[in-house]
Amino acid sequence: DRSFHVRYRMEASCLELALEGERLCKAGDCRAGVSFFEAAVQVGTEDLRTLSAIYSQLGNAYFYLQEYAKALEYHHHDLTLARTIGDLLGEAKASGNLGNTLKVLGNFEEAIVCCQRHLDISRELNDKVGEARALYNLGNVYHSKGKNVANAGTHDPGELPDDVKNALQKAAKYYEENLSIVTELGDRAAQGRAFGNLGNTHYLLGNFRSAVLAHEQRLLIAKEFGDRSAERRAYSNLGNAYIFLGEFETAAEYYRRTLQLARQLKDRAVEAQACYSLGNTYTLLQDYEKAIDYHLKHLVIAQELHDKIGEGRACWSLGNAYTALGNHDQAIHFAERHLEISREVGDRSGELTARLNLSDLQMVLGLSYSTNNSMMAESHAVENSLNGGRPRGRRYSMENMELMKLTPEKVPNWN
Amino acid sequence: PPLAGGQAAELQSKVVPSKQILHSDNMEMEPETMETKSVTDYFSKLHMGSLVYSCTSKRK
Repeated sequence: DRSFHVRYRMEASCLELALEGERLCKAGDCRAGVSFFEAAVQVGTEDLRTLSAIYSQLGNAYFYLQEYAKALEYHHHDLTLARTIGDLLGEAKASGNLGNTLKVLGNFEEAIVCCQRHLDISRELNDKVGEARALYNLGNVYHSKGKNVANAGTHDPGELPDDVKNALQKAAKYYEENLSIVTELGDRAAQGRAFGNLGNTHYLLGNFRSAVLAHEQRLLIAKEFGDRSAERRAYSNLGNAYIFLGEFETAAEYYRRTLQLARQLKDRAVEAQACYSLGNTYTLLQDYEKAIDYHLKHLVIAQELHDKIGEGRACWSLGNAYTALGNHDQAIHFAERHLEISREVGDRSGELTARLNLSDLQMVLGLSYSTNNSMMAESHAVENSLNGGRPRGRRYSMENMELMKLTPEKVPNWN
Repeated sequence: PPLAGGQAAELQSKVVPSKQILHSDNMEMEPETMETKSVTDYFSKLHMGSLVYSCTSKRK
């Protein structure tokens, strides 16, 4: 039968293409893997389980390629298919993947529904591994949700509106539930992940001691596995927590280890971040020479990576450090550069800060009052427009050091 | 001049506390985990199925 033969050949080639796609994705070449999977879909198959596996892997490949709209599309196809063929485990997996993708896209409510479905089915099937993974995913969704709402305002960790607090507390609860299962299962890698994100959740909630405890556990597991990236993450997170505990020397020590590992791993962006953190920490320690040294290192890498926002932050920090040392020429140089860059990238609050710094410096150096007044007037206009007409007082915290959190669009993601 | 000097001293003492210091709030999250499927899952199950079948049929 000729038609049987043709269909047989097509099934076989669909499978071969899909297998090659799997091989390429496992080898880390998701881009090439995607083209084989898409070719497999083009050829087609009558076996819906095979098709479901292809859709699922296409979704994951696009997820890793950060093409989330495509990832969403394929995980949605997979979910529909799994339901059609009554594959409950397949439905759970597709729901989990869809949930993770929706989370990245910022659709938290739907993400929660999907991850909850993953959890419910896993429990129904008495699948402990699936249950633990669903709990971790749910923790991640609530964490992102909390962080997303928190970022809309400008508060330090610990001072949070109720809805943010609720979401973060839910995240902590899910991570802890996950931890009790993966501990029972003896899955150390999963424990490491849960401790890391639980630590970050405690950090946002302002529970800095608990954050330290969790990140210490994360560090231990990273060392067990010889996972240097995870080790570096733990150092960095420990540094952040110690800053808010006011233990700047300890924070500096952790940031130095972060920097050391970043250099070993040859990750320039992370190296820059570590230098920046060290610069700020030495500022808090009032060791301005060291602060300048690290901020200059940060500046060089930011320029090398064409990171304008990072460059602006470096100039701002350098301006402050030179002012503290009484080196007003350098202070003015960097404040002017900060103003220039803030204008270039359209950072209104950066522009305002730079203007205020410049006018302070000019006043001290006895420059003309007319320049000064117009500068101040302009600054107030910008400040008022930024704060809905109400001038905002400068807040104080951390032994008179003011910590200002920036909104996410102004804080570049260094990773 | 003494006035400017005084202002400079004043600036030096007040500038760091009052100037905003950016806290490098760069939280490092753990990676996401995705659920995986494979086209060979189906085969291994088929294979298992036929094994189980042959075992049970042998017993019969």
